[in-house]
Amino acid sequence: MTAVNLAADSAADTAVSHPKGTSLGANMLRLAWRSMDFRIGLFVFGLLITLSVIGPFVSNISATQFHIMERFLPPFPMVGSRWPHIFGTDELGRDLFMRSLIGLRNALAIGVTSVIGMFTLGCAVGLVAGYFGRWTDIILMRLTDAQMSIPVIIMAITILGVSRPTPASVVAVLVLAGWPVYARVTRSVGLAERQKEYVRAAKILGASDIRIMLLHIAPNILPPIAFVAVLDIARMMIFEAIFGFIGIGIQPPTPTFGTIIASGTQYLINAWWITAIPGLLLAISLGSINLVGGALERARNQLLQGIG
Amino acid sequence: MLKVRSLSVDLAVEGRIRPVLADISFDLHEREVFGVIGESGSGKTVLSRALVNWISPPLSITAGSVEYHGSNLLSLPAAEKNRLNGREIAYIGANPGGALDPTLPVGQQIVEKLRAVEPKVSTREAKRRVLSLLEAVRIPSASRQFDQFPFQFSGGMMQRALIVDALVSNPAFLVADNITQPLDVTVAAQILRLLRELQNDFRTAIVFVSSSLGFIHEIADEVLVLKEGRVAEQQPTAMLLRQPRDAYTRQLIKDVPRIWHASVKAPAATGTTAILTVRNVAKSYQARDRRFIFGHHQIRAVRGVSFEVMQGENFGIVGESGCGKSTLSRLLSRLEPVDQGQIVFKGKDVTHLSRRALLSLRKGFQLLLQDPYNAVPGHFHVGRTIEEPLLIHGGLRRREVRERALAVMSEVGLSQDLFHKLPVGLSAGQRQRVNIARAMMLDPELLILDETLSALDQVEQAKLLDLFEKIQKRHKVTYIYISHDLAMVRRVCTRIAVMYLGRVVELAGNHSLFFDPGHPYTFALLSAVPAIEDRPYRTEQYLLEGEPPDPIDIPPGCSFRTRCPMAFDRCAIDDPWLYRRGPSNLSACHLVDPAARPGGRLSSPP
Amino acid sequence: MIFALNFLLRRLAQGAVIVFLVAFLVFTLLRVVPGDPIRIILGPMTPPSVMEQTARELGLRDPIPIQFVHYLEQLAKGNLGHSFIRSRQGGSTGGSRGLTTFESQNRAAVSTLILNALPYSLQLAALGIGFTILIAFPIGLAAGLNAGRWPEKLALYISSAFVSLPNIWLGVVFILLFSARAGWLPAIGYKGFSYTILPALVLAVELSAVAIRAISVAIANALIENYVDVGRVRGLSRWQIIRRHVVRNASIPLLNLFGVQVIGMLLGSLFVVEYIFNYPGIGLLTINAVFERDFPVIQAIAILASAILVLVNIIVDFVATNVDRRLQY
Repeated sequence: MTAVNLAADSAADTAVSHPKGTSLGANMLRLAWRSMDFRIGLFVFGLLITLSVIGPFVSNISATQFHIMERFLPPFPMVGSRWPHIFGTDELGRDLFMRSLIGLRNALAIGVTSVIGMFTLGCAVGLVAGYFGRWTDIILMRLTDAQMSIPVIIMAITILGVSRPTPASVVAVLVLAGWPVYARVTRSVGLAERQKEYVRAAKILGASDIRIMLLHIAPNILPPIAFVAVLDIARMMIFEAIFGFIGIGIQPPTPTFGTIIASGTQYLINAWWITAIPGLLLAISLGSINLVGGALERARNQLLQGIG
Repeated sequence: MLKVRSLSVDLAVEGRIRPVLADISFDLHEREVFGVIGESGSGKTVLSRALVNWISPPLSITAGSVEYHGSNLLSLPAAEKNRLNGREIAYIGANPGGALDPTLPVGQQIVEKLRAVEPKVSTREAKRRVLSLLEAVRIPSASRQFDQFPFQFSGGMMQRALIVDALVSNPAFLVADNITQPLDVTVAAQILRLLRELQNDFRTAIVFVSSSLGFIHEIADEVLVLKEGRVAEQQPTAMLLRQPRDAYTRQLIKDVPRIWHASVKAPAATGTTAILTVRNVAKSYQARDRRFIFGHHQIRAVRGVSFEVMQGENFGIVGESGCGKSTLSRLLSRLEPVDQGQIVFKGKDVTHLSRRALLSLRKGFQLLLQDPYNAVPGHFHVGRTIEEPLLIHGGLRRREVRERALAVMSEVGLSQDLFHKLPVGLSAGQRQRVNIARAMMLDPELLILDETLSALDQVEQAKLLDLFEKIQKRHKVTYIYISHDLAMVRRVCTRIAVMYLGRVVELAGNHSLFFDPGHPYTFALLSAVPAIEDRPYRTEQYLLEGEPPDPIDIPPGCSFRTRCPMAFDRCAIDDPWLYRRGPSNLSACHLVDPAARPGGRLSSPP
Repeated sequence: MIFALNFLLRRLAQGAVIVFLVAFLVFTLLRVVPGDPIRIILGPMTPPSVMEQTARELGLRDPIPIQFVHYLEQLAKGNLGHSFIRSRQGGSTGGSRGLTTFESQNRAAVSTLILNALPYSLQLAALGIGFTILIAFPIGLAAGLNAGRWPEKLALYISSAFVSLPNIWLGVVFILLFSARAGWLPAIGYKGFSYTILPALVLAVELSAVAIRAISVAIANALIENYVDVGRVRGLSRWQIIRRHVVRNASIPLLNLFGVQVIGMLLGSLFVVEYIFNYPGIGLLTINAVFERDFPVIQAIAILASAILVLVNIIVDFVATNVDRRLQY
């Protein structure tokens, strides 16, 4: 018992140990908001999203048009170009900043969509396995075990390395790779929740299993999982970049981080900025997402320990 | 030996400073048992920690001294203070399960402590000392238990082991903070006896902190009453009980629930129909037996329970942990299916009803559980939680459901403003009222209260008992009270069943049970219960030894035989049924054999 | 003893099921995904009749369940099969074939290919894990012991930074800085041990991110347990408690981490890192095999990878149950 819990004991008010606010999810947000990195991360992330969505519309610099005269311009060139190329240009004279922004946009889209997909699929499977128990549970768990034993890369290259990969197939592969973890977590948390008294109370009142699952258990366990899923957006964005690098992601001429970095490796010695700077932008975006997600995860752990 | 002078401790919380203890002074003499009594919030835990140098931010000692053999413990340099811990000062807390590292054997950890505190002792010598102490505290098969892990120890055994851990270095004084709270009554009584015996051998002074005047009465020579961080009164125990000087103490004494001198408000049954009949109900669970490849243990939680509950009465079921009463409540409320036996509700056999058929019957009987915090879902607002039963069962329009919910809320004493609020800020008492309101929505005729009041303090308990009485008069409800609290059951129950290891061992009317018990286990329970009254019989011959046997290895013959002070040879062979005892009482003991009296057996053998 | 037997039998049986499932999944995936592998194996210029004949020889035209059964039979004899592409001498077919190119004895045995590549990967993995422990352990330990103070914040920032660095970018940047510019370390291919260092560093960054967090959380959680505080009152010194109890209890979640998650991550990242640095290990072998549609190699490696993961899982769980007897695996 920590000293703070002792204080609760002395306060003769046992309600002190329970948090203010509505639910675990809302409390997580509230607690996370208090930390500096959450706010910084949110700010940077918001900035980047806005740039990547609006930028290409607003600016008249093209991401795909070649400018043979302006190839291999380093960042912030003073001479030799009509437009300010903040990140420089690549081997075909294309503006790297715009390419990076569009790459970011694609990466985000894929990241968010795939996480939504794996969350939905995984949690649904996990809820069912956890609640209906025994055989459904065993089969589903073996399935997730098997799925988790196949490295993502192998699965990705196998599926995407054949046909021309589309954004949809990339998202599909990522969902396939990611759903088992959500299923497991949901299942174990769901099992624990099932033991709680309010579930028993509901059963005694006559509530059916489905009702309990949807109305009681899901609203309690899903929000914390959903918030921490933010971290997976960053992970999926990395995978997307890796796929692009190997050549099995979204195909050129659509700019993606992976393809930009990959094509830049050839010119590493002379035009290092082609690889390094877009990658830096990616790293910063990932960093901001990880700050946000990390703060949420810490908030959740703190709350769970405060209660339990 | 120990002089505490003007000790004060403050708590810094969210920028404000709040005094937790103010101006505490007392003396502790060698070989004395010094009791400290206070309600929750009085600061007694902080006091016990201050004595063993366990105060850290946000708590801080702001004034006073603790003089031990001349020097003030509080002003000693840290190295000196740490040297005293475990060596001359010992501490046992209320959480036996969490006190030791769960991954290492218990004996090894006690040896570790001994060698840390007395470095010159060799491992072999330390082990010898620990083993002899383990035997002294009557842990069975001490040498085997030495190598067992904490999770393999029951609560009572763990407290014994921790007593060994505390006394192995022969400390000058020992602080026992609420050590009996997590234990069953018969086990706690044994621990208290043990402490007294050991104290004589070890010459250790004991500071015994508790919130139960009954326990203090049993063990303490002198008592200090703590009220809101201050000393209210200090006297030798016997004098305190007879002539309390302070008004607070007087109130405290008055509030101790009496058993033999209680005012009993138990309703009589209205008529002769039984609203619930339970016949030979049994239930077992499987647990993996790690000793065999595919082996399983059979845990026989309930082994043939039969009784009838009459309409309008309050039926009590009491027992210690492991007796099967929680399993029984789950069986009665049909949360789990029975393995054997029959449950008849208002004439209808509900043992094997399908979920659908059961649904309509659920309106007839409901169950209220113990934990007020977890039984009320946190994600619905109060009104929705209360409305839920009628929403599940259907049939009424939304508006009607809401009106009924509001009406029920007023009836149980909840302000209607709470309807749209989330249960977050509610107190335990209010939450239980939400539970009651929810159950009452279906207008049940039978309510099973499974330790419903155990988590509440005395004041709230009293209020809720009054509420139950009110509801009973108005709605003609029958109650089944399942509890381990004998005092509460004495207050309100018409008839009481005592359970042990999955069986009912005695079933008697309220007065008979307490004044003329018919089973050795009942005698033992009543002897062990902490009370400040005199009991109507001599207690020494009924006190139990040892722990209840594992529900896995139930001994043949009478299951109580291994601990019964009055067992004789027939008890090892024959498993007694419930014999009649007097016109309406039953007892499962060969000493009450009908062969000596006319009248038949009530229940058939399992 | 009996318990150990019980445990092993059960888990090995379950593991076998998993490996079987994985084999089946990969096997089917390869054959079900659109596109005819023969086209890639032989190249688009080959006449259709030759393609058909080769396909039949390689068994690719049988129904998938039958192919799988044949494969299982083959596996049961301990034979991992022969590469579709690579010949004994080491070259690939890619676009040409003679009369005997596809006969078994002329194609490289998959087991040989794997055994040739394995030592390099093992070396890389070992060095990578070594670097990870060197980096993550001190930082994580300091963070866990000093919850709320600067070591924890530092650990947080370091692990957040590490997890935000994509390995592809980091690899290229390392090549740029340490190899191209500074010339300290060699980068591409393998001509000596020093070629392992850069790839191992990239691996270590990725793994450390997870390891730092896990170590600090495990230790911080173990520190707030009741018996830690009670231990002080019983007379044990802070260091005694940390050394003998905290580390022991913290190791249980860490075992799971290191065993399962790190190995799992390793398996994936190894492939990518080898590809970036053109390091001749299993990863490079696999990626090339996929691009070339060399089914037997892919299948064998997938089975191998999942078998390793399953075994590691079993070992980790076994050790965990010995450390903490409450666990029931």
